[in-house]
Amino acid sequence: MTLAPGPDERADSEPPDIPGFRTWGGLYLFVFGWFVLVLVLLTAFTAIFS
Amino acid sequence: MNLADWIVLLGTLVGIAAYGAWRTRHIRSLSTYLRGSASTGWGTIGLSVMATQASAITFLSIPGQGFESGIGFVQNYFGLPLALIIVCAVFLPMYRRLNVYTAYEFLGQRFDEKTRLLGAGLFLLQRGLAAGVTIYAPAIIISTVLGWRLDLVIVFTGLLVIVYTVTGGSEAVALTHKWQMTMISAGMVTALIVLLLRLPDGLGFTGAAHVAGALGKLQAVDFSLDPSRRYTVWTGVFGGLFLSLSYFGTDQSQVQRYIGGASIREGRLGLMFNAVLKIPMQFVILLIGALLFVFYQFAPHPVFFNQAEWRRHAQDGKFAVLEARHAGALAQSQSAIRAWLEARASDDPARETRARAAMVAANDRAGSIRAEARAAIAAADPRAKTKDSDYVFITFILTELPHGTIGLLIAVMFAAALSSKAAELAALGTTTTIDLWRHFRPLAAADEHRNMQVARRFTAMWGLVAVAFALFAGFAENLIEAINILGSIFYGVLLGLFLVAFFLRRVGGSAVFFAAVAAQALVIVMYFSLNIGYLWYNIIGCAACIAFSLVLQKVLPPRARADEVRAG
Repeated sequence: MTLAPGPDERADSEPPDIPGFRTWGGLYLFVFGWFVLVLVLLTAFTAIFS
Repeated sequence: MNLADWIVLLGTLVGIAAYGAWRTRHIRSLSTYLRGSASTGWGTIGLSVMATQASAITFLSIPGQGFESGIGFVQNYFGLPLALIIVCAVFLPMYRRLNVYTAYEFLGQRFDEKTRLLGAGLFLLQRGLAAGVTIYAPAIIISTVLGWRLDLVIVFTGLLVIVYTVTGGSEAVALTHKWQMTMISAGMVTALIVLLLRLPDGLGFTGAAHVAGALGKLQAVDFSLDPSRRYTVWTGVFGGLFLSLSYFGTDQSQVQRYIGGASIREGRLGLMFNAVLKIPMQFVILLIGALLFVFYQFAPHPVFFNQAEWRRHAQDGKFAVLEARHAGALAQSQSAIRAWLEARASDDPARETRARAAMVAANDRAGSIRAEARAAIAAADPRAKTKDSDYVFITFILTELPHGTIGLLIAVMFAAALSSKAAELAALGTTTTIDLWRHFRPLAAADEHRNMQVARRFTAMWGLVAVAFALFAGFAENLIEAINILGSIFYGVLLGLFLVAFFLRRVGGSAVFFAAVAAQALVIVMYFSLNIGYLWYNIIGCAACIAFSLVLQKVLPPRARADEVRAG
């Protein structure tokens, strides 16, 4: 049976090297939070102008 | 267009294409030709990913969509940031680790050669057909602007992109993307500023937004659970997630943009750059369309924006009557809008409600005359193109923008078309070379020079195929939807193949191969027999592929499973 290769641990050991983000998980969380904020703003935009 | 427009148009287009070809003319490394330079930073990768997705269709159809149906289309992109996070966390590290040229090589390493060929085949089929549509879009503009023959414009555009893509491969594509995106951003900001300045005195952005909202153009989000609605938050988040995951994770035209670069960090940051900016960017482009709708409530405009088509059929008196009725309805609509704005400012809710109803009714009358115009054209010629929303933005550009900026905006359309086209051609050429040609000529794989030659020939061949398809793309009523529908039919199954590969470690090659074939057949049958939003086909295709794989893995005879063991 061919097994899928496991995740590349080296990939996650390389830091994003962006001020304020020490891990990739932190950066992904920020991007997700940004998406939620955009969704909230668009909902407010719809409520104001429709 | 005057001389200044021509200088801007030809200077930017030919300049960027020549720059790309000249800078990459000495490339001898197959890796650089197929994956781009190993020193590419995240900024270039991010812009290249964005330029690949932003075709001319984005700047033609999407403002038209905002004008006609409002900005609800923005929900289509809600799944994109989530998909890019998954691509960064799962897909990209795997591609980098296996050092592949194409995403489908991964399927070959994980499963077997037939599954790799199926994945590559689905991509080539879908992207090869879509490539024709993307080259068709700017050709409409030029044929409308200059009155040139559409087929000649298609051929000219196709040859321009073929030259620099064949010369410099993926490296030329990335280099030109950077400048093309810079020009596109400058052009769209210019168009938005001019549009805001052209709004009637005293209306301003806020007033225009209130008018657009009251007339149903600014419903950005819709939480309805009705599955027949094409754009809702749910189709956007779930359908859009699957569509984006398929596109960014498994479509070679995108994978090729981020698997190169200096390190995995550069690829990840380039993708996160898109995750943050894509929804705001699409919102602004749609908003331009909604503001154009308001602008044209106060500015004279044709009853049918595709004037070339209109003039072809408007031979008898009933077309003149329609034009006169439309002008009258527009005047009434203008008065009704002004009355509503006054009522709104009066703090009299009952008056505001009555004025709003009158405004909506006046707008509906103007809309119904536009529908009559479309019906009259269809009656005159059943094969005529009756959807004119793709012509709204270009009409604004040609009639309202100052000279020089007209050339810039036409160049924006062309640059967008060339950027997405170039990425597609590079990906089609690479996939054909690596996944098909090498499969049938395994001994030639070690000859780097020959591989380069073959990749160049296949890239050129796909360019010519795309041009041929573009010549027959006139039947596609709305270009952006045509591409998304096509993508939704094939992408779900393709994504299913990759998700099984990544997450269902016990499923083997034969099970997933036959599951994918059955899932694709199911999606095609459902598309022709059901009436549901097309984004759902991404989920259905993916889910069917995964479910069938699990079932087939259980029921396949032991001999088939033994094949899988050998394949491993």
